[in-house]
Amino acid sequence: MADQRTAGTEVPAVRLASISKSFGAIVACDHVDLTLYRGRIHGILGENGAGKSTLMKVLIGLVLPDGGTIEVDGERCQIRDPHDAATRGIGMVHQHFSLVEPLTVWENVMLGDTGRFDAGAARQRVAEISERYGLGVDPDAKLGDLSAGVRQRVEIIKCLRRDPSILIFDEPTSVLTPGESERLFDVLRLAVREENRAVALVSHKLDEILHATDEVTIMRAGSVVQRMETSEADAPLLARAMVGREVSLRSEASALGLIETVAAGAGDGEASRDGDSRIRVPALRLRDVVARGPDGRVSLDGLSVDVFDSEIVGVAGVEGNGQAALTDLLSSLLDADAGTVEVDGVKVEPGKPGAMSDAGVAVIPEDRHSSGCVLDMTVAENLFLVDIERIAKRGIYDPAVMRRDAARLIDDFDIHTAGPDAPFWSLSGGNQQRVVLARELSYSPKVLVASQPTRGLDVGAIEWMTDRLRQVADSGVAVMLISNELEEILQLSDRVVVLFRGRIIGEMGRADVDLEELGLLLGGADTEAAA
Amino acid sequence: MSDQQAQLAAEGSGSAPSQLREAGVAAAMYLACIIVALFASALIVWATGGSWQAVFSALLDGSLRAPGRWGETIGIAIPLVVVALGTAINGRAGVVNIGQEGQVMMGTAFAAYVGVNMGGPGPIVVVCLLIVGALAGAMWAGIASWLLYWRRVPEVLTTLLLITVASQATGYALKVDWLLLAPFRADRSVRNQVSEQLAADTRLPRIDIFGNDFPISSIAVVLMAVIVFLLFKRSVWGFRMRMLGRNARTAQRAGVSTVKYGTTAMLISGACAGLAGALMLSGGDFGNYRFTPGFANNIGWEGLLVALVARSHPVGIVVVAFSFAGLRAGSGFLAATGVEREISQVVLALLVLALLVPPAILFIRERRRALAATRDRT
Repeated sequence: MADQRTAGTEVPAVRLASISKSFGAIVACDHVDLTLYRGRIHGILGENGAGKSTLMKVLIGLVLPDGGTIEVDGERCQIRDPHDAATRGIGMVHQHFSLVEPLTVWENVMLGDTGRFDAGAARQRVAEISERYGLGVDPDAKLGDLSAGVRQRVEIIKCLRRDPSILIFDEPTSVLTPGESERLFDVLRLAVREENRAVALVSHKLDEILHATDEVTIMRAGSVVQRMETSEADAPLLARAMVGREVSLRSEASALGLIETVAAGAGDGEASRDGDSRIRVPALRLRDVVARGPDGRVSLDGLSVDVFDSEIVGVAGVEGNGQAALTDLLSSLLDADAGTVEVDGVKVEPGKPGAMSDAGVAVIPEDRHSSGCVLDMTVAENLFLVDIERIAKRGIYDPAVMRRDAARLIDDFDIHTAGPDAPFWSLSGGNQQRVVLARELSYSPKVLVASQPTRGLDVGAIEWMTDRLRQVADSGVAVMLISNELEEILQLSDRVVVLFRGRIIGEMGRADVDLEELGLLLGGADTEAAA
Repeated sequence: MSDQQAQLAAEGSGSAPSQLREAGVAAAMYLACIIVALFASALIVWATGGSWQAVFSALLDGSLRAPGRWGETIGIAIPLVVVALGTAINGRAGVVNIGQEGQVMMGTAFAAYVGVNMGGPGPIVVVCLLIVGALAGAMWAGIASWLLYWRRVPEVLTTLLLITVASQATGYALKVDWLLLAPFRADRSVRNQVSEQLAADTRLPRIDIFGNDFPISSIAVVLMAVIVFLLFKRSVWGFRMRMLGRNARTAQRAGVSTVKYGTTAMLISGACAGLAGALMLSGGDFGNYRFTPGFANNIGWEGLLVALVARSHPVGIVVVAFSFAGLRAGSGFLAATGVEREISQVVLALLVLALLVPPAILFIRERRRALAATRDRT
């Protein structure tokens, strides 16, 4: 193993010493030290807003630190911009992709290049890298047709093409399925062990850190709280260091990936809800819904499901089986070609703008930046996007009232922000998600659709979110939980349905869940019998 | 260099006085850029053999100093403000309209037809010609909007190209008797391509203050700016327009129909341009109450520029429009200096450029400071 080399004898690839950075009153990094060695994967663990991303942005030159020193290969330097970083052999794969959808893969990879440019050679280079690391990316594929997992591999190719000796991955698995994450780590190991690169892996997922890294630095509130060899760490230890207190591993199971704990512990008293709900009118009823995506492909193919008051229905399934379309349909972003949608027994026309929210369907979208918020508006305004009319009289509202009401919500939902007038984009991911939830619950919905509600969140935020979802259901709202994380579904749901190729192919009460059967359904087995 | 660093160190903390200083620096920078632009203009005048003192003096005389000139400036500012307010509204909704020039032409042409042919009590005719002018502008923008939402034709293209169509269409209307061409009169040997003049009772009344006269529409236009300001700040409608402009998907989910609100924005913008045309015709500061080829005279383009420079802020629009109008009015006095009146266009262009520079400099300065601050400590 590469762990055997001792830190003292070798010149580190990167040494960050006493790096500080504040944004206004918020201290993102407070005298942070970090050392990366070649041939090792260094995990940087911390909650959203702990300062991990800022630290990485300092290293890549996107953020200029207020103080501190940077050494690359023992040489002290100042990294002015990403270009500067690139010439020093530092490359980064960002959490949010910067890809152009109408272009092909190789065109995307070549973007930003200057000078003479040889299309043939570029395509070949992309194919080579893809081959070498087993990425399986077709250079001529159009980016718009690719799934999130493949897109990330395109980002990795973009980065590897310059043959960087220092690689930074910022939350690389936040949009990946478990299988895709596994493949990513294989690539990482290859790049590290065989090519002697230094890798920084930023993450808030404990299992990822435990599986993929050699050593780990844990950050909390802008400071390093602990540093250790990964081999000496375990999940509870890391969780405690990261959150700063004991955490219930059960409620954070999805962060830890401890499916056994969940399966054993949940579902004792919950199943009884299910029994008497049958006779009531469902809060949300979908019947034989057929819908096409923007590309004309059928994404929902005769989907039927009921969700009753006070229950959480988990929609399990492998990503790409219609989850996005289902969320869009319930967000009035997609019209149904056939079938009906009813809320509390009243038919709703899903494609009409605002129809679903008017009918009382709240949504926490999968990608909040796409349909859950307006980044350029303030926090207060984002809290009133859907029901600004609530504080308006004859079409006129008072910004002071809005700010006051927003301040209350910020308080209630424990949103960390500089204030109601702070721009939404200045919030960390977990706090953005809280704003979305606060807004969606503020208009007393009948149904709450939560699509991948904990994706990209850290342990603390996941705990908070799952607790809230439970409370929401207990208060009488029908909750539909759409998630790729089976652990999350099993932990929260009263009833589990399985989505496969745009239809529900199986259903089971929480108490009757048979993991093996569920696994088969997820893979689409037994379609005939279930349909 | 060391001075600069000391200054940087002094400005390190982000307290209130330093914020005040920041604002001062920004203001000084705008002023400096304007001075540089004027200096460059002077240089150009000098290079072409003119006297820059005479030119600036003429511009000042023509816009403000000479008797009656600030009234003239107000008269020119009116349509600029109206066009710019419309542009601000469609910009907010994320829809692009760069065809104001054509919409001004259509608005004027229709207003002229109504004004000349309607008959009846004067005030009613005036109101009708203003409404019809607005409707005509809206219709012209509506074509672009309809193509956008029906067949996804980019509105940047359609609004732009429709200017040419408007120019041809109104030109044709000025060639035929049954549309706009004024009837033949025995006392003129050449039959000009002009419309009949608006009758005296179908013109907008003019206010006279200290020998400066301008149409009463000026008051309405300032009111209009205030209304747009309030719409932006306080109305649900303005809020939703902004939502649409910033994130159409979120907007649709929240009940803002892209088609409905986008079309509304485009129609309003067109209506404003059309109304501007009608105001120009009935106000008397342009074309002497007659519609002529070239009547629009770049007011549509300049109004668009006003909105851009004022960053779509309604109050800023009034200020910028007045400055631009001043340059235009002043250019009328340049003939006496022997310098081509086009120099005013050069000055205008340099000023617009100058106003775009400070934000860029402020950004770079911010970055430099951050770099320097790091260097000090590393």
